[in-house]
Amino acid sequence: MSTLSVFVVILNVILALLFSLGLAPILVWVERRVAGLIQDRLGPNRCHIKGIRLGGLVQSLADMLKLVFKEDFQAKAIQENFCFSLAPVIVFVSAFLSFMVIPFADDLIINGERFIMQGLPTDLGILWFLALAGLSVYGIMLGGWASRSKYSLLGAMRAGAQVISYEAAMGLSVVSLLITYGSIHLGDIVAYQGELLFGFIPAWGIIVQPIAAIIFIVTAFAEANRTPFDLAEGESEIVGGYHTEYSAMRFGLFFVGEYVAMSASSALIVTLFLGGYHLPYLNTQTLQTTMPYVLGFIILTLPLGSFYAMRWIKKHNRWYLKSDVRNTESAVLQKGLIGLNILVIAGLGALLYLGLTPTSTNVATAVIQVLTFAAKLFLMNFVFVWVRWTLPRFRYDQLQTLGWKVLMPLAIANIVISAIIIVVKGL
Amino acid sequence: MMDILFLLLGSFAILGAIGMVGFHQPVHSALSLILTILALAGLFALLSASFLFMVQIIIYAGAILTLFIFIIMFLNVKEANLPKEPTKNITLFLGSLALLPFNFLILRAFYQMPLHVNSVESDFGKIKPLGMELFTQWLLPFELISILLLVALIGAVVLGRKDEA
Repeated sequence: MSTLSVFVVILNVILALLFSLGLAPILVWVERRVAGLIQDRLGPNRCHIKGIRLGGLVQSLADMLKLVFKEDFQAKAIQENFCFSLAPVIVFVSAFLSFMVIPFADDLIINGERFIMQGLPTDLGILWFLALAGLSVYGIMLGGWASRSKYSLLGAMRAGAQVISYEAAMGLSVVSLLITYGSIHLGDIVAYQGELLFGFIPAWGIIVQPIAAIIFIVTAFAEANRTPFDLAEGESEIVGGYHTEYSAMRFGLFFVGEYVAMSASSALIVTLFLGGYHLPYLNTQTLQTTMPYVLGFIILTLPLGSFYAMRWIKKHNRWYLKSDVRNTESAVLQKGLIGLNILVIAGLGALLYLGLTPTSTNVATAVIQVLTFAAKLFLMNFVFVWVRWTLPRFRYDQLQTLGWKVLMPLAIANIVISAIIIVVKGL
Repeated sequence: MMDILFLLLGSFAILGAIGMVGFHQPVHSALSLILTILALAGLFALLSASFLFMVQIIIYAGAILTLFIFIIMFLNVKEANLPKEPTKNITLFLGSLALLPFNFLILRAFYQMPLHVNSVESDFGKIKPLGMELFTQWLLPFELISILLLVALIGAVVLGRKDEA
């Protein structure tokens, strides 16, 4: 292995870490602020480090510290020490590993070497995700059982029944997708979505397979135990559900694991239905041929966007007292924006001035695609949060009815229809 | 590297199997069975049968054993209600003694198999060639097994439902 390939592998692992684990505190922040927005209040925004609040993002840091330093209390009735400690680890690890097969960018070619831009360079793709989604429920069931409390056990049972019933519909909706895309490798699936349908619509999964998209998104909500399917921890009925007896970092692992699982589900939805790392109308090839124009566009629009952002900061984040500590935040943010602009424009300008080589084009493509993927991932995560604070929880019988009597027949019908269309088109 | 992995996975599989028979609590038995199944999946991966590796985890560990554990938890048997097994160890020992001749038989058969020394093709064990093989050469047995499973499923439902009085 050359130094280059070691570097790319490490970069991929860091990206996977950032998108899963690094996104968790940001998602906690988004969740609270969006909850505030929807319920017409502010949400946490006071926590600060020397006046820098970042709209309340620092609150997540404080929460993390609190979880780490809390007393790790364990009731005497809990005798299954090993299972009790193992449960949150299973939830966290399986959520984390399921992120590892998501491609962040098209295969990167540097000096003739080809690198798959995933945490784990394997082509198992969607099967890997399904396997780990099935394993994560053990953590919940084991935790609920080992807690030896009625609420926990009820939560665990609900989670178990829910995951089993929704996994069936999820698997079937994936089958119809695989018929359309013709591959289980997520890289191939994204490449398919880079093409155009009828010459003018991007062939994204949500347009090619709308029914499968709806079924998959609904079941992904259920698999991630998010509202409206969060009966496993329904506060109004069973206290905290499976994590009632957990405290400190063992609870923290459950908590972070939930967000990582949500992020992994969003990443898979983005990859399967929303074009993955592709910008609309710009698949990898077009992006590479039009790279100078794209870079020029970025050089032109970045200062404009920053200008408006700075004006917004000046208008909304200024305080009457000059000595107010909050004024330092505006200054820091503005300086940061200016610095970022100078850096990006100087870098891209130098790149354009010196002329693009194939390697630099490939690297620039990868960077743009990773950023696109990050933006889409963030948007999908926002949808998860949005739904949580908009929809009420299902009743348990409604949940099972929806899973078995609506989603499952719909998925099977969708498979038959897709298969017929594919066969007729192939004739 | 491969040998170390094989030894690790093999010992995990055996440990899980022993635990599955030896544990007193049903939940512990089911959990050790999961360990065995995951280790077996790893062994499939070592044999570069990637599709079997995934299917083993999805179907056995992900679906079937979740149901096992679900049912065990649903019954929620108290410690005091579990049957006492005073002669368990002796029974297990005698049972394994009785199975020893079969082990020799299997070992003999194993050593008489031809050794596969050629390296496999790059797409060996992947989903596409496996599907091609299943749906061209083995289509009839495949469909018959599906029908068998369907019959078992319907049979279970018919036996399990209460009579409508």
